[in-house]
Order: sequence, then structure tokens, then C-alpha cells
Amino acid sequence: MSPKTADRVASAVFWAMGGITASALLFIVVQIFWRGLATALSPSFFLGKPRAFEEGGGVLPMLVSSVYLAAWTLIIAVPVSLGAAIYLAEFARKGSRAAGAVRFCADSLASLPSIVFGLFGMTFFAAYLGWGTCLLAGACTLALLNLPVLMRSAEESMRAVPAAYREASLGLGAGRWTTVRQVVIPSAMPGILAGTVLTVGRVLGESASLIYVMMLVTRKVPSFSPFSNAAPLASNIWYTQTEAIIPDYRRVVDGGAALLLLLVLAVNLAARALGKAYSKRKGVKTADARA
Amino acid sequence: MRERKAKKGDPLARAVMLVCSSVCILGIALIFIFIIKESLPAFRELGPSNLFGAQWSPDVSEPAAGKYGMLAFINGTLLTTLGGLLLGAPLGISTAIFLDQVAPRRAARVIHRGVEMLAGIPSVVIGWFGLTMLVPFLARISGTGGDGLLAASIVLGIMTLPTITFLSLEALRSLPPEYKEASLAMGATRWQTIRRILVPAARRGILVAVILGMGRAIGETMAVQMVIGNARQAAWGPFQRTSTLPSRIITDMGESSGLFRSALFAQGLVLLVLAMLLILAIRLVNRERGRGR
Repeated sequence: MSPKTADRVASAVFWAMGGITASALLFIVVQIFWRGLATALSPSFFLGKPRAFEEGGGVLPMLVSSVYLAAWTLIIAVPVSLGAAIYLAEFARKGSRAAGAVRFCADSLASLPSIVFGLFGMTFFAAYLGWGTCLLAGACTLALLNLPVLMRSAEESMRAVPAAYREASLGLGAGRWTTVRQVVIPSAMPGILAGTVLTVGRVLGESASLIYVMMLVTRKVPSFSPFSNAAPLASNIWYTQTEAIIPDYRRVVDGGAALLLLLVLAVNLAARALGKAYSKRKGVKTADARA
Repeated sequence: MRERKAKKGDPLARAVMLVCSSVCILGIALIFIFIIKESLPAFRELGPSNLFGAQWSPDVSEPAAGKYGMLAFINGTLLTTLGGLLLGAPLGISTAIFLDQVAPRRAARVIHRGVEMLAGIPSVVIGWFGLTMLVPFLARISGTGGDGLLAASIVLGIMTLPTITFLSLEALRSLPPEYKEASLAMGATRWQTIRRILVPAARRGILVAVILGMGRAIGETMAVQMVIGNARQAAWGPFQRTSTLPSRIITDMGESSGLFRSALFAQGLVLLVLAMLLILAIRLVNRERGRGR
């Protein structure tokens, strides 16, 4: 085979591979929406109460739990990750041992399977700290799970702030902390926000680490106490299809999966829009490849 | 500049930030401590020969009660991970090459977005897709139940695809453009350039991409649990049902107590150790890569 022919064959193969990847994705998304979108978008479903032994139930309490869980997770994880990112990007000296240790631990945390976080959450937050299985224990577990990614994206956004900004601020006599607070963080804000929004998407979709930390108690009315059990949408989808007690569980799961996918895609699009606004201004990328 | 002093508030801020940073260190330490603590009874009272044996029959009512061997699930984890990588790695790497070198800009952008979307699909949704589309399809073509090792491998292939694609793409994009230009200027075709220059130059980055994909496959719980059949036996054939470590933990944890529960934590510990081994592998590759991070 001449090099020219080989080149043509290879190009065809790469086109085929790209095509397979794209069509597999398209197939999944279309299938999920085709079967569940009608259910997901009917108000009696996303605003309805779940029913145990009859048809026609909805998912409102699960939806509320999901959003509430995401809110608590961010309340816990964002300040901590921001602080850690500021330390790594602004305060730590180059080659600092402490910073190296933090990075190594963050990398390790990021690569742990989510089920391990679940085991930890149920023994530490729920049992050892005595909170019992509850939404707050779930939020703490997810905060720990998402900490490395949040930290990394905030650190990268801060590093992308031009050094001249800092020098100007320091040169005017401002301290490090004042510089960080008034110059670096405002400039890095769109990137930090994009990372935060991406985390919301991950929290909405997370289930493996939550099942035994929160105990899936299906409620008719949403509860707003962080110390009560809850069943967020993603976990509830799994539980509903595993137990299969509800007579129309297929409809509920189809609808729930479509609704969840819709939410996650919307959240990720929002994060991209933020990141784009950011890169337009700064000329840097904030793609999150490991999501 | 010599006499520049720390301004008011700086030492305090620094201390607060340091505390925030230490949460990562504390977190990983606590995870290790608590998982080890919970799995200790199983190690002490059952011993490694029982824990790593081939038989899993935790129910008291069974004749072989008291067997907590996880070998079948380690086998399941390794085989499905391997299967997922056999599917996800070639597809992911060639998609990355396609996006970087072959595709026209507009097509590349559309596919790039698509793969980003794929990365965001929650694992329960992929699992539900697998259970309602993939498993019936496999059942029809094979004349079996459809669930088992192959179904789990395909699901894992789909789930590792975004990780492998994006990290390989990053490795390819970080190469100096001169490599490609020099090769093309010497009269090499695009395929020769890809095969002889670009892929070898980016091989360590691509290896890291595959290892991280592997990490994702080893730990995936929900999607695998929904399609693997959750049998307790070891399986070798593509349509045999079995379990992975995570799927066994999530399936059994609800009804477990005492030694049974501790044995499940021991499985969690094995997962933890596997994940740490992968991290060390990545460190090793990166060190060789000369990027001392």
C-alpha cells in the first residue's frame, strides 16, 4: 500500500471513529429524551407527589431534595475550596512542601471511586458524628468529593489572572490579602463561577455515594431540615428501578431520567456560557476535561 | 524591597487559607482511617483466606454461610474494566486524533461539544439506558438474558470515552506545532505524521488518559450495577452474570450488619488501594515525562 493510499484509509478510519463516538452519544441522548421527555415536562410529573402503589405519581419532593442538596454542598465546599485555591495560587511559595502535599491529597481524593466516599460518609458523618443518615451528611460527603475539582478550577482561574494586576496592586502598597480580595478574585470570578456551576451538575447526577448516607426515604412533602432523610432525583431513579414496586415505575424512571438529563445539560450549558464569557475576556481556557 | 513587611491581615489570611488547604489532607486521612477501621473486624476474624476466597455466601440461612470471599468480584471488576478500556481507549484516542488532526473545524467543534455532553450524563441515566436498550438488544442477538460482563463493559466503554478523549486531546494539543510542520515539510503524509511523530510524542499523556479512564471504570457503581446481573459467582463468558466490587457493595450494604458489613468495607478498602495504585502509576508516568508537578 502506497503512503498516499494508507493516508486515505487512515483518514476514513478516523472519520468512522469520530462518527461512532458522535452517534453513540446522540443515540443515548435521543433515546432518553424520546422515551421520557413527554413525561418529564408534564406538570403533574415534576410538580406531582410520588405515589407508592398506584399510577400517576410525580417527583416534586425528589427534585426539591436534589436542589437543596446541591445548595448545601456548595455552601460547604465553595468557601473551603476557594481558601485552598487562594493558598495554592497566591500564598504558597514555589516548590513548597505543604502545597505539594495538598496537591497530592487533592489528586488522590479526585480519583477515589464515589462509592468509597459513600462508605466514608455513612461511617463518619452519619455514624461517628452521630448525625444519622440525613441530607447534611450527604452534602458533606459530596462536598469532600467535589473539593478537588472545585479547588483546581478556582486555582487555574486565579493563575490565569495576569501577574501585572498583582504587581500593580502590590506596588500601590496593598498587602497580599487585599490584593487577592480586591484584584485577583474579582478578575477570576467568571472562571470560579463556571467551576461552581459545573459542580452543581455533578451533584445533581451523583447517586452512588449517597444511597446509604441519606437513606432513600421517599416523602410526599419536601422537608427542609438538613437533618432529615431525603431521596434526591438521581438516587431515587436507581431506587425506583431496583425495587420496581410502583406499578408504572417504568414511566417514573423514564421521566425522571429525562428530567435529570435535561437539568444536568442545562446546568452544564450555563457553566459553558460563563466560561466562554471568561475566555473572551482573558483569552484562556477553562475546559473541565475530567468531569 | 528588602524591608517589605507583611501588611495587616496577611498572616491571618495566610493561616486561614492554610487551614482550608489542609481539609484535603484531613479528608483523605479520615477516609483511610474509617474504611480501615470498619474493615478491621473482617480481616481479624475471617482472615485473608476467607476474605479473598472465591465463595460469597453471607446469608446465615445458606449451608455455606460465613463465606465472605471477594475474589469473584475482583475478577468482575478487572474484567469489566479491561473490557471497558478495550472499547473506550481505541475509540477515545482515535476520536482525539480525529478532533485534533483530521476533522474540519466545524465538525470538530460539534463532536467536541457532544463528548462534553456525554461526560455530563449522570451514571444512573446511562445505567437506565443500558438496562432498557442495551441489555434487551444483547439478549436478542445472544439468546441469553443479555446482562453480564459484556453489557457492563460496553457501559464502561461509553463512560470512559469522554475522559480518554479529552485527556488524549490535551496531550496532543500540548505538542509543539513544529513537530507536525517539520514532518509534513519533509513530505510525510498526515497518517505517517500521526503514527510516527504525534502519537509517539504524546504517548505519556495518552497513557495518563487511559489510566484515569481506568480509574473511572474501576469505581463506577450505579450503571454497572444495573446491567451486570449481580450474581455472586465469578464469570468469564461475556453473557455470564457476575458483580464488581462497587456493585456488590451497593447491592448488599442495605441488608448487612456485623461481619457481613465489615467484609463489604474490606471490599471498599480494596477499591481504595486500587485507586491509590493508579494515582502512583500516574505520578510515575508524569515524572518520566519530566513535568515535575
